[in-house]
Amino acid sequence: MLDVSRVQKELVEIERDKNLSGVSIAICEDDLARMRGTITGPVGTPYEGGIFSVDIHLPSAYPFEPPKMQFITKVWHPNVSSQNGAICLDILKDQWSPALTLKTALLSLQALLSTPEPDDPQDAVVAQQYLRDYATFVGTARYWTETFAKRGSLGLKEKVAKLVEMGFSEDASKSALESCGGDENGALEKLCSG
Amino acid sequence: MDSEDDMQDAWGGESDGEFYDSNEEEDDEGSSDKEEADYGFDDFAADDGAPSSRMPQANYTILSEKDIRQRQEEAIATITNFLSVSKTDAGILLRHFKWSVSKVNDEWFADEESVRRSVGLVRPTRPEYQRRSRGRGQEMRCTICFETHSFSSISRMKAEPACGHFFCDVCWTGYIHTAINDGPGCLTLRCADPSCGAAIGEDMVLSLVCTDDRTKYNRYLLRSYVEDNRKAKWCPAPGCEYAVLGFVPGVGASYDIVCKCSFNFCWNCLEEAHRPVDCGTVKKWIRKNSAESENMNWILANSKPCPKCKRPIEKNQGCMHITCTPPCKFEFCWLCLGAWTDHGERTGGFYACNRYEAAKQEGVYDEADRRRDMAKNSLERYTHYYERWATNESSRAKAHTDLQQMQAVQIEKLSDKQCQPVSQLKFVTEAWLQIVECRRVLKWTYAYGYYLPDQEDAKKQFFEYLQGEAEAGLERLHQCAEKDLHVFLDGEPGQATFNDFRTKLAGLTSVTRTYFENLVRALENGLTDVVQGPLRRS
Repeated sequence: MLDVSRVQKELVEIERDKNLSGVSIAICEDDLARMRGTITGPVGTPYEGGIFSVDIHLPSAYPFEPPKMQFITKVWHPNVSSQNGAICLDILKDQWSPALTLKTALLSLQALLSTPEPDDPQDAVVAQQYLRDYATFVGTARYWTETFAKRGSLGLKEKVAKLVEMGFSEDASKSALESCGGDENGALEKLCSG
Repeated sequence: MDSEDDMQDAWGGESDGEFYDSNEEEDDEGSSDKEEADYGFDDFAADDGAPSSRMPQANYTILSEKDIRQRQEEAIATITNFLSVSKTDAGILLRHFKWSVSKVNDEWFADEESVRRSVGLVRPTRPEYQRRSRGRGQEMRCTICFETHSFSSISRMKAEPACGHFFCDVCWTGYIHTAINDGPGCLTLRCADPSCGAAIGEDMVLSLVCTDDRTKYNRYLLRSYVEDNRKAKWCPAPGCEYAVLGFVPGVGASYDIVCKCSFNFCWNCLEEAHRPVDCGTVKKWIRKNSAESENMNWILANSKPCPKCKRPIEKNQGCMHITCTPPCKFEFCWLCLGAWTDHGERTGGFYACNRYEAAKQEGVYDEADRRRDMAKNSLERYTHYYERWATNESSRAKAHTDLQQMQAVQIEKLSDKQCQPVSQLKFVTEAWLQIVECRRVLKWTYAYGYYLPDQEDAKKQFFEYLQGEAEAGLERLHQCAEKDLHVFLDGEPGQATFNDFRTKLAGLTSVTRTYFENLVRALENGLTDVVQGPLRRS
């Protein structure tokens, strides 16, 4: 059974210093086991200025089993799949401890953005580029951050227009964007999943 | 071969139980004392071997679960003494070093601190809450459930990790429960604090968890003794709980292990003992069996053999009028497999076959018949060997059941009827053991035969002759052990005839044993020396 009381306490704590920590969590549709985390790109990295959404799923044995996390926002990073956002991070696997929290896990993701570990890659293509042609890697990572992780890059109107262009109704697009805090990727996923 | 010895064993009632230590010797060290010389293996240096069966040459020990537990306890006691550590710590150390007492000793006395670090063996520390300064209140928060607990309730908690880190009992239990259900990794569990790394010992685990988890944990604990050890293996027989320890294959020696459950297996490939064929052939044969059986099934399900040339035919379209492909060109009816010339208006029209319907109702096309007819040209050869292999396997299984029945019930009964002490009736058990063993060898000779190259015709013929003789000899023994014995089980005591029976059965056992031992050796040598003819019965 999911330890609801602990999860609620964790959420309160994250909410309290989200401005300071740069990580936050929102619950999806009253299901305490599904959440959306966001982390800000660390300063001084190609991810700076970006806001990255992470899909979080809590297994029923949480916190004794690690939370399942996956990037929703596309990220160009050796330890993150450029295809589906899957993350290779030890504390999300065998190094998990129940004394860790969602917040520490998100902070570890943030740290992972600053210090990639190309020797233990999730995405071999990215890792190879990182090792062989670092300048190109930085360029691509920055470009992906600009394209996928910058909320301010488009106004709400343009975002709605973009979604309408894809074939969704204007109302649905608007409400989807609102519920995802303006994140177009999130809104798109929401629309697609119905 | 020392058939005389064997006879004496059987007659004199002297126990040669160690040959069959699986059945009676309560300890196994016995298996190491076997007198190999008696059996004259020395002549066969290379991949020769021990006579087929019963006599593994190598040294090894069969351990029951109880023996394993005892050994674990002994190891823990030794380490506790040598290192002056607690039993729990000794257990942690031994599991880390794969239950090697000498390794624990060596490493510990070489560099105790480094061992402690890598194993996670911390010196007991005062609990965290006792170390807190008085000024900061009288309660602490468990950083797993985030609940606060008063010091007084904490002091009553059961979980006392050596490192002193505080988590409440409920959370420790949940942590350990998850680890136990995750697999044997729970044996090297560390403190839940991610920066700590202190090993969590057996005593704390067992003091917290529920009965189910305790059972699982103890099971892993037991298994680790065998599974962590490269020189130990579990007996692969289903349901068998014995382990084999310390097997060292000698040069050219047999890999056969005789478990106390009476299963014989090959240490190398863990398949059932398979002399005279080698591990590679066994693997090939088993793979072939599973692949061919699929082919067979498909053919049986989807085709019928041409009634004339026996080639399998798949009917994938059209009417019941089948014309076999050239050169056969036989025309027949798919339903009744009769010649098409017999068909016509008389049989109810070309597109119906009342012959078939009528015959079916009379039960002419029964399943067994159909299957027998289904042997195909291309598969006939394989089927020939496979069927005989499988038949011998089922005979072996049956004989094994009979043997157990013999040991459990019949011997007792026979002892009553014939007024003979059980110890005098060993020759019966021995005969049955020999039968089981011979069936096993015979079974594998069919795999051997299948892989014998076609062009070596002389060899093949000789092999088949030997195999035939072996079969006949075994039948004689089997008959005597089964039919003749029944007379004495049901009839009146008759001292004289019973002694005759004893002589006959023991003699047959011995002769058959010798024959099979020679057969196995001959086949293992590739029939080279046999062709010159030394394998006549002496």
